[in-house]
Amino acid sequence: MTDATDMTPMSAPAARHTSGSLLTASARTKRRNAAETRFKAYGIAAIAIAVLALMFLLYSIVRDGASAFQQTYVSLPVTISAEVVDPKGNRDPAEMAKVISMSYGKVLDDSLKAWIAAENIQIPDLSEADIKSFFSNEAQARLREMVLADPSIIGETLDMTALTSSRVDGMFKGRVTEASAALDAKTSVAQYQLAQAMKDKGALVTKFNTAFITKPDASDNRAEAAGIGVAILGSFYMMLIVLVLALPIGVAASIYLEEFAPKNRFTDVIEVNIANLAAVPSIVFGILGLAAFINFVGLPRSTPIVGGLVLTLMTLPTIIISTRAALKSVPPSIRDAALGVGASKMQTVFHHVLPLAMPGILTGTIIGLAQALGETAPLLLIGMVAFVTTYPSAPPEGFFDPASALPVQVYNWTQRADPAFFERASGAIIVLLVFLLCMNLLAIFLRRKFERRW
Amino acid sequence: MNDMSLVEREVTQDDIKITARDVQVYYGDKHAIKDVNVDILDKTVTAFIGPSGCGKSTFLRCINRMNDTIDIARIEGKIALDGEDIYDKRVDPVQLRAKVGMVFQKPNPFPKSIYDNVAYGPRIHGLARNRADLDEIVEKSLRGSALWNEVKDRLHEPGTGLSGGQQQRLCIARAVATAPEVLLMDEPCSALDPIATSQVEELIDQLREDFSVVIVTHSMQQAARVSQKTAFFHLGNLVEYGDTDDIFTRPQDPRTESYISGRIG
Repeated sequence: MTDATDMTPMSAPAARHTSGSLLTASARTKRRNAAETRFKAYGIAAIAIAVLALMFLLYSIVRDGASAFQQTYVSLPVTISAEVVDPKGNRDPAEMAKVISMSYGKVLDDSLKAWIAAENIQIPDLSEADIKSFFSNEAQARLREMVLADPSIIGETLDMTALTSSRVDGMFKGRVTEASAALDAKTSVAQYQLAQAMKDKGALVTKFNTAFITKPDASDNRAEAAGIGVAILGSFYMMLIVLVLALPIGVAASIYLEEFAPKNRFTDVIEVNIANLAAVPSIVFGILGLAAFINFVGLPRSTPIVGGLVLTLMTLPTIIISTRAALKSVPPSIRDAALGVGASKMQTVFHHVLPLAMPGILTGTIIGLAQALGETAPLLLIGMVAFVTTYPSAPPEGFFDPASALPVQVYNWTQRADPAFFERASGAIIVLLVFLLCMNLLAIFLRRKFERRW
Repeated sequence: MNDMSLVEREVTQDDIKITARDVQVYYGDKHAIKDVNVDILDKTVTAFIGPSGCGKSTFLRCINRMNDTIDIARIEGKIALDGEDIYDKRVDPVQLRAKVGMVFQKPNPFPKSIYDNVAYGPRIHGLARNRADLDEIVEKSLRGSALWNEVKDRLHEPGTGLSGGQQQRLCIARAVATAPEVLLMDEPCSALDPIATSQVEELIDQLREDFSVVIVTHSMQQAARVSQKTAFFHLGNLVEYGDTDDIFTRPQDPRTESYISGRIG
């Protein structure tokens, strides 16, 4: 009976959506499938563009910066002549200390000339200036330090490696060619030929540039000696301060807002403002830091403590937002369960909710830290762009010593004239990216480790 | 289930455990519970039945003040446990909930070991002086919830790894472990299959010896099987309350009659 009544409308063709064979797709189905295919193609195109942009970025940075990790040194027998380093001849340290670094250049120059003569190298236009500018000023300073530390080497002939000038270094990195040397006031074709000859004879060696990672910044005319040691240390100190301040403050604020605070207009206003703070341009935090920490509190400029405080303020909204999201994502049934057996609110939060929210909190914190690590603008305003060549001491005193920061060092170097600084800036970016990568890997590792199912 | 026929399970108790007088509950503007008066007996299973949204769960959650966690909920009237008003200002809900345990609709074990799930309540209430005491409480609670034989060899495996029915019995063990006087159950079998349901129902009948059990259920058959007293809620009103036997065979109110005969709800 029911079958019969159902059959009547079914047999009326107008009421039916599908007619015809299942084996041929209807026009409507074809249109829908085409739309889906198009949408997938857009998605793949978008991903391809993103991947290409990323690849290009990485490629250009590595291309420009990889050479910063190599450095060219002269490897020569150097005769430390007593007339130069100890003109009075009495080996009195006080007297010897009066000889400035510049004079030690003569020791290196004479050794190079002696080597050229011994190897019988003929370069017609080789001038005194070409020999003089072959070495880095840094090499003279190192030699002076060596002699003052151990006067017994005076008069000896030692096999030494000495830093070359940035131009000579550039000849082996493709930065300086014979053609460009002809147009360059700081080098010459003769110097280029000398360098090639020395390379052939093994008197120039290229080594891994540990100094780049450990040494402080250097002045404009010693690009070959500049390093990111102080910047790494400064960034590390700031990250310590951010972690120690932002994590507890951020987590405590989130727990209170999420679990304890009454929901009223006042907490709504706070919530909206935290979200807004996350979107405030970072340079505004720099102005705030300048006004509050340096001008009002009177903390010293260019120091990790001020940088750390400013970055803490900047990171807090990120940590609070991600922590609240992590707390929200803990299922309410867990809270009910704990309250149901008579746990207090605080026990519920600390015994059950917080451990479950931990992966999210840690991920948010590390993302916040990574963001702070790469932040430049606020640090410029609090003077961390200063030229700092002395390492800050160990914490906690070191927090109050001037230091630089990695992104600021990059910014700083891109402003300078010598192209060697550009290479170093790219090298510093590589180091920064490696740190960021490590932090992200740590975030993934922690999330995996603490992740629980419920 | 023939051993659970209505005839054998008449009420043998008449000590009143919980008294509710003129209880009103508002969720914001919504009047969810209206003028509920009920006396719940000790060592008895009391079932709350009624269509969805009738307020039976809401009223249950009033008995251990779980509604306190909902900001917009407002409760008026008086609910007394052993004559003491539980909404008195001096009452700490945490202490109340130690006396009035609760089992929820969906099994919600903590993502910890089976042992820690059961031991959590005794730990925070300081019921065990030492490890041996705690072991004993855990064993007793798991035996009491008919789970001991299934889990005794894997006490330190996660509670979330158990089957649905086992998880629910674990939740009952967890509630029992704090030695409550009243056990509230909010549709404890709605997420379980028939076999797990019958195990939990059997357990509920055993629990009656030690606790006053209040169970909210959607299933009238379940109410008939496990309870001695039944309360029928409809649209926020307590329509009828009496011996389960009477409610199901001789309902006084036409609404009750319609509901149990399947015409409304």
